[in-house]
Amino acid sequence: MSTTLAPYTLPSGFVLPSIHSGPPFFTQQPSPSSRKIATDNWTRLILSYARHQKLFVLRTEDADIPGGEWDDVLSNPRINRKIRAPHLAAVIAHMVATDQAVYDPPNQTSAVLLYWRTPEEWAQVLYDWASSTGHLNTIMTFYEIVEPPVPSPLSDLPLPILRKAIAVLAKSSRAQVIAVADGEGVRFLTAPPGR
Amino acid sequence: MGGNQSVPKITKQDRAILDLKLQRDEVKKYQKKIQVVLDREHEVAKQQLAAGNKDRALVALRRRKYQEGLLAKTDGQLENLEQLVSTIEFSLVEVSILHGLQQGNAALKEIHKELNIENVERVLEETQEAREYQREIDEMLANSLTVEDEEAVQAELRELQIETLGVHDAERPIHLPSVPTEEPVSPIRKPGTELQSQEEQRVPVAA
Repeated sequence: MSTTLAPYTLPSGFVLPSIHSGPPFFTQQPSPSSRKIATDNWTRLILSYARHQKLFVLRTEDADIPGGEWDDVLSNPRINRKIRAPHLAAVIAHMVATDQAVYDPPNQTSAVLLYWRTPEEWAQVLYDWASSTGHLNTIMTFYEIVEPPVPSPLSDLPLPILRKAIAVLAKSSRAQVIAVADGEGVRFLTAPPGR
Repeated sequence: MGGNQSVPKITKQDRAILDLKLQRDEVKKYQKKIQVVLDREHEVAKQQLAAGNKDRALVALRRRKYQEGLLAKTDGQLENLEQLVSTIEFSLVEVSILHGLQQGNAALKEIHKELNIENVERVLEETQEAREYQREIDEMLANSLTVEDEEAVQAELRELQIETLGVHDAERPIHLPSVPTEEPVSPIRKPGTELQSQEEQRVPVAA
């Protein structure tokens, strides 16, 4: 094997780790210990790429879509290797088991929402955004938060994650969900003292 | 957990604002849809033109024009909705300002109750009276001392001054050196001889 392991910088600026240029990384390892190491590396790679590209959804079929948004990570044309869908499904199952992703919609195992920020972290981002843009104490719709006219850190945030983040804020009385017949809204509240 | 009491109640206005905002979102989504249709018709027209079907291209462009009109109409509606939302929110701010002013006014009134003019006058009068009373007492006490006592006191004061500050009172006699009574002993000599005699006086002494 003459292939040298080296990091590779994608045109988008994302640096693929050196393990990504090793052919064994793309096949499911038979030995449990090396499989665990490979799975951990895959998890880290997927989450950091998702954060870099602001991707929220990963599907097992992404492994088989050439030119898709995940192509740069799930395949390596320089060594002519790509991850197979069952292998990706195993990685995804590991991510769900360790709370780094959640199946969405529930009751299926082919698509996940990636938690490159935990709902608690999103809650903080959400609250910081609301207070820095003067949206405390006003009522906002969910659509208004995830599709703002000017891009914000929360643009295109999937609603399930937004709901979870708002639930975290509601628990510490920093947000209040208001439901009417046509939909839901949220009001961010000034933080109670001492919290 | 216990913080739930601090959550404000959801009022009718809150629901109204939320309803309006949801409507506004609907209009925005609708606009997005029309925009997609516009782009599609444009693409269709281009393709038909390339294929030589001028009539079909014209139809596509007509449809596009119609959708454009719809978009302009929804723009107007969106503006209306947003204005209404802004007006309501602004009115809420005004209400809270009014509430703040009322609170401030009540507080000021409470303070003024303590601070009415009769009270101030009475207090000032009483202060004046107290001062006069104090002065009377001072006078009475001062007058009760006899002249001798007063002198003794003054003497003691002088003693103290000398003792503590070393200050001599002007009344104490000043000791100046007295004027010499005898004639100066040595007659005035010439400057040269004086120097000489001084040198003579300087005799080396064995160490």
